[in-house]
Amino acid sequence: MSIDDDKLIAFIDGELSLVEQAEIEAALAQDESLREKIAAHKRLRTRISAAFDGALAEPLPKALRDAALAKPHQAEIVNFATRRAARWSAREWGAMAASVAAGLLIGVGVMRSQPPMLSATDDGLLARGALARALDIQLASDNAEAVRIGLSFRARDGRYCRTFELTRATTAGLACREDNAWQVALTTMVPASGNMRMAAASAEIVTAVEEMIEGEPLDAPGEAQARDAGWQ
Amino acid sequence: MTSAADQTRSDIAAMLPRLRRFARALTGQVADADDIVQVTLERALTRLDQFQAGTRLDSWLFRIARNAWIDEARSRTRRDKVFAPAEAGERVGSDGVTEMHTKLEADEVWAAMRKLPEEQREAVALVCVEGLAYREAAETLGVPIGTLTSRLARGREALQVMLGDAR
Repeated sequence: MSIDDDKLIAFIDGELSLVEQAEIEAALAQDESLREKIAAHKRLRTRISAAFDGALAEPLPKALRDAALAKPHQAEIVNFATRRAARWSAREWGAMAASVAAGLLIGVGVMRSQPPMLSATDDGLLARGALARALDIQLASDNAEAVRIGLSFRARDGRYCRTFELTRATTAGLACREDNAWQVALTTMVPASGNMRMAAASAEIVTAVEEMIEGEPLDAPGEAQARDAGWQ
Repeated sequence: MTSAADQTRSDIAAMLPRLRRFARALTGQVADADDIVQVTLERALTRLDQFQAGTRLDSWLFRIARNAWIDEARSRTRRDKVFAPAEAGERVGSDGVTEMHTKLEADEVWAAMRKLPEEQREAVALVCVEGLAYREAAETLGVPIGTLTSRLARGREALQVMLGDAR
């Protein structure tokens, strides 16, 4: 049976009926090249979405928050050119605390299937998809695919925390294990260069680690042991 | 007491991070994206009565954003015919945030997205970045599903060629 590319793409996008899905899965079981094609399509999709996910964790510029909160009669249609002249200064972007973004994210329960790597819930920003999987099982010494793991450590409040870096995006961060999920405590931008340093190298993250850590970071055996125990 | 309009307004505020993500995928530029988000907010807030409760707020906002971007692209084309391009230096600065955004925009995926034809880029942004179902994405763009899937397939093929298969 030959399966065309459109159908493979629809399969990855979760758009096929159960019967069609079963057909593809059956074909996959005996066709190595088909499996490779599917994997390549999946990698592409993950790479595309990961490149833009940073917007979910970035602090919102003041101008946008103000516009969202403006009363209806205050909202005016202003043309693009006017606004361009009055664009908020770049400094305002940086000055905003990340907690503001997290606060505004509350209630975004409309995140859909094909989970992005971060999602906002009532419990805060949680790791999802490839990021959650990497935090669960990947060791710092493992080859990085979508995610590179930096330091793992035990925080003063008893939680296990790990630093990470998204290899195909420009985001690094710190996540802690709580209630069987990875709470993303901090994310930060890193340069999109080919030779990024390990996640912990970002000054902001180092500062956060230093504030939270109990004792020393886990060494390789300690990291593997904590992982095998499910980060409990 | 919370009116339906107030509820919609707070739902819109909660959607801002996703709206920014979509706008970035749509424009391939951080500053342009936030301009689009701003215009979208203004338009949405003055047309709250046009939003039908029970329909998807994200699709509604994405549609407004996409139309705002089309309007902007058109007026930019007109403007560029009249004026010398004055914006090239506008975003250059030593500020850390500006630098960060410059790097973000230099990302391979961003660059590849910018090279896609508009109609393919918006299809990819809705489905691959925002995770909309085909039917929802087609409705957002006002095209039949078959049109959407063919744009999506061509867009992905072009991206695959530009980006290679990074493993």
